[in-house]
Amino acid sequence: MLQCAVKRFQDSRIHVSGRVRCVFGCRVVLLSLILAGAVVARAGGQTGTVADAQGQASHALSTRVVAYQIEARLDPVKKTIDATEILTYHNLTGRPLDTFPFHLYLNAFQPTSTFMREVRLYGTRGADPESVWDKKHYGAIEVKSFEVVGQGDFTKRLEFIQPDDHNPDDRTVFQVKLAKPVAPGADVVFKIVFHDQLPEVLERTGYKRNFFMVAQWFPKVGVWWHDAWNCHQFHALTEFFADFGAFDVKATVPENYLTGSTGDLVSTVPNRDHTKTVTWRAADIHDFAWTASPDYKLIEDAWTGSAGTVHIHLLLSPGHESSIRRYLEVIKGALDRFDRWYGPYPYDRITLVDPPQGASDAGGMEYPTLITCGTGWWVPEGARVPEMVTEHEFGHQYWYGMVATNEFEEAWMDEGINSYTEAKVMESLYGKDTSMLDLWGMSASDADILRLEYVTLPDTDPLSRFAWQFMNSNAYAAVSYGKTATLLLTLEGIIGEDTMRRAMHTYFMRYRFTHPTGADFIKTIEEVSGRDLDWYFQQAVHGTNVLDYEVLAIRSDPLDWFREPPSKPKKGVTLYRDTVLVHRKADFIMPVDIQIKFDNGDRTLEKWDGRDRWVRFSYDKKARVISAEIDPQHSVRLDKNFFSNSSTEEADRRATHKLSTYWLFATQYMAQLLAWLA
Amino acid sequence: MTPFHPLSRSSGPPISSWGRNVTNLNKSPFVAGAGLVWRRQSVLWWVFLVNFILAGMGAATFMRQISPMLDQSLESQVFVRSFNPMALSTLLMETHGLSSAGMASACLILVFFFFMLFVEGGLLEVYRLDRGLTKGEFFEASGRFFWRFVRLLIMLLIVLIPVGILNNLATRSSHAMDERSPSPVPGIWVRLIGLLLVLLLMQAVRLWFDMAQVRAVAEDDRAIRRALARAFKITFGNFGSLYWMYLRISVVAWLMMAVLLWIWVRLVRPEWIGVSFLLTQLMLLSWLGTRLWQRASETVWYQRRMPAVVKESEQPTPVPAPVPAPEAQAPDFSI
Repeated sequence: MLQCAVKRFQDSRIHVSGRVRCVFGCRVVLLSLILAGAVVARAGGQTGTVADAQGQASHALSTRVVAYQIEARLDPVKKTIDATEILTYHNLTGRPLDTFPFHLYLNAFQPTSTFMREVRLYGTRGADPESVWDKKHYGAIEVKSFEVVGQGDFTKRLEFIQPDDHNPDDRTVFQVKLAKPVAPGADVVFKIVFHDQLPEVLERTGYKRNFFMVAQWFPKVGVWWHDAWNCHQFHALTEFFADFGAFDVKATVPENYLTGSTGDLVSTVPNRDHTKTVTWRAADIHDFAWTASPDYKLIEDAWTGSAGTVHIHLLLSPGHESSIRRYLEVIKGALDRFDRWYGPYPYDRITLVDPPQGASDAGGMEYPTLITCGTGWWVPEGARVPEMVTEHEFGHQYWYGMVATNEFEEAWMDEGINSYTEAKVMESLYGKDTSMLDLWGMSASDADILRLEYVTLPDTDPLSRFAWQFMNSNAYAAVSYGKTATLLLTLEGIIGEDTMRRAMHTYFMRYRFTHPTGADFIKTIEEVSGRDLDWYFQQAVHGTNVLDYEVLAIRSDPLDWFREPPSKPKKGVTLYRDTVLVHRKADFIMPVDIQIKFDNGDRTLEKWDGRDRWVRFSYDKKARVISAEIDPQHSVRLDKNFFSNSSTEEADRRATHKLSTYWLFATQYMAQLLAWLA
Repeated sequence: MTPFHPLSRSSGPPISSWGRNVTNLNKSPFVAGAGLVWRRQSVLWWVFLVNFILAGMGAATFMRQISPMLDQSLESQVFVRSFNPMALSTLLMETHGLSSAGMASACLILVFFFFMLFVEGGLLEVYRLDRGLTKGEFFEASGRFFWRFVRLLIMLLIVLIPVGILNNLATRSSHAMDERSPSPVPGIWVRLIGLLLVLLLMQAVRLWFDMAQVRAVAEDDRAIRRALARAFKITFGNFGSLYWMYLRISVVAWLMMAVLLWIWVRLVRPEWIGVSFLLTQLMLLSWLGTRLWQRASETVWYQRRMPAVVKESEQPTPVPAPVPAPEAQAPDFSI
């Protein structure tokens, strides 16, 4: 998800906790092997929908733990949804289960919820701590009845729990204790009647006028993970985590509404009351979202990759026609790069939702096979915000959608890894230095923006911290998005771009349709690269170490300095003692290369392990040192200050003059504007 | 009674004081104003120089702040080869923000503002007389009108309050439109039209106060509220011709700025720092020049349309013996 698609290009991300870092058990490994076979079969030429909601085993890409059948009716006037949900849960935990927790995400949008408490504490996307509560943002989900098939009505026995902060007013998670436990390998069926009050759009979901983005809208069961239920409350900075399964969803909406959803459209049946019932089906996904609006315009396209043809559906809002080509270009480019670099996109559809005016909080978000984008009436071609948002959310089809990490606990693994691949894809599509900005003489890459995000708050939190425990929303964004992407770009410099790509490919193919942890990711990188990178990950992932090197001094001293009268230096004749002093300013230890150039054209590349605080390189040469540069390839992108990474003997004041010229111009112009009042 | 002042209508030969402004009736005030700015271009150069020097002092502070970081760093090439706003942001963070340079420049912008407020009387006098003034004459005129113009400024700020409210209403209307429409286009149109109206209204207000200043200098009127009221009648009694003149010059200014910006962005290579400097200065010179052109044209217009008032005010003062041409008196300091 992009936290603030246009303003700050941030998203939500994860990090590794000690608890989560433990290696996945045999269950996952076995499942991975089975699934890998299934996916290879799919990639080998199967077409059509991924699978139906009944879960045909031969087509299954994932271990389908859940099967949801939902029938919903949208009231576009009251902004409500009344629905029934039949959830079949397959107990694959290997133990009897008698307690089941469920998410009720929409209850976060209430003044006393934990979500709002945290918004007041440190803000979240689109809302700062000073935000005033507006009742139009009220959202709720009420369970009208809860039946366990074969065990009776449990409506009165539902209990709200607050596993994260014990806030008694938070109603985003409830649990039910069954009369009889569900045996290992058995199924349990829940019949739930619920009522949604949608908020005016915020935090990815809700309505705006007659636009509806219906997300996180149904009671969703938690995940049995690492021998316990994992069902966190909805926090200001967290996203989601759920089991794979199948979804069979029917929604009744006004007949003039155009709809889009996760999965595939099965049928549309008109009703007598000027409504229509739309049926969708999807499988091997872990969430379901849908959208409806009478103002959408449907743009269709297609792309063919290694797993067959992918139908592209763009639901465009009015006034955004100028972005059609850009949306389609970037989505096809991203499909192509991901297919070639990381692995096949196995679904036969991707739906792009372009939120209308005033609904940008619904933009920049990912759901399985459906993403929400973000653009404006007119965004200059060189400002690649629509492209970046679209690419980012598409990337989540891989890092979240298929490689379904726990977004509550390890934000860096979906948002950060996705930001890294975003930088790579954007660079491939739009140029190394211009992938984000190429406008009016200005240029910047996506990697530059991510690095800047990291540099603003480099040391507040380790990546491996639960998302809601970050210092604030800025720290969360800086670390989960910016720092992770930057450290992976730096890692690419250590192990090589090709190795990194192979490692990412292996990671994707190995862990798609599973719930890997940060440890799995690190293990894969080390395995593919054949290197022990613990020293790096300990600092970069688990630590808050800051990386900052500098060339402290360069000096060329004539060896005959003591002679009287002093001899006149002669190029190529005078013997100098050349010294270069390099300093590690901060606590991140990183081996670096130092390139030293001399005035006779000689160059030397020194290697320093960075363990000491400083190192001095010394040469006796008939040449003066003219420059020294740490990391001349600029591969150590984690270094927070590139400007101190080099030093030259002679000053080059062109940059200073150029920037001063701009400053001068701005000051003069401001002065003249103000003087208009005089 | 209008008090005497040395540079009043009687201080120079009638032909000189009204000179070409009055006699060149073939030319419209729009054209005559341009000619006046050209003839009295020393005013433009002096003001531009002050603007440059003051801003330069701010830029020097900025330069001192970034120079240690950039001058001996190979990374500085990111600014030479291109302009990367992300690299600039990093630089600003590493230089711990630009509080001192920013504060210095903000102060110097204020200094320029008060400088302009101070010399406004002098430069209007130059245009009124259409001759160079000695340093003493110029600053005497500037000082004489300074407090009157301060009072006018306060009144201008009061008058601009409703304009600000109108701008706020336009913004709210745009937001309301955004709330109602799924498309951003209606809201954008409302905002653009609102902005245009506010801009035109602000220009009308500025024109009114410009005329009050022109009149205050021409009549040496100390009663500012009266000057403002009369300027109101003059301005809005002749609104079409005056406003059209003012607006045309504004359009010229915007066009010149747009063209020069286009040249800067499209044709000037990032490493052509000297060319960038010259081009930006040309932009500022043209911006300032067109503003003075407005002042000169307003003066010409006033002199042509209000001769009766002027003559009346001149009558009590006997015409002194011919004096040497002012240019010859003080060529070094004439403004």
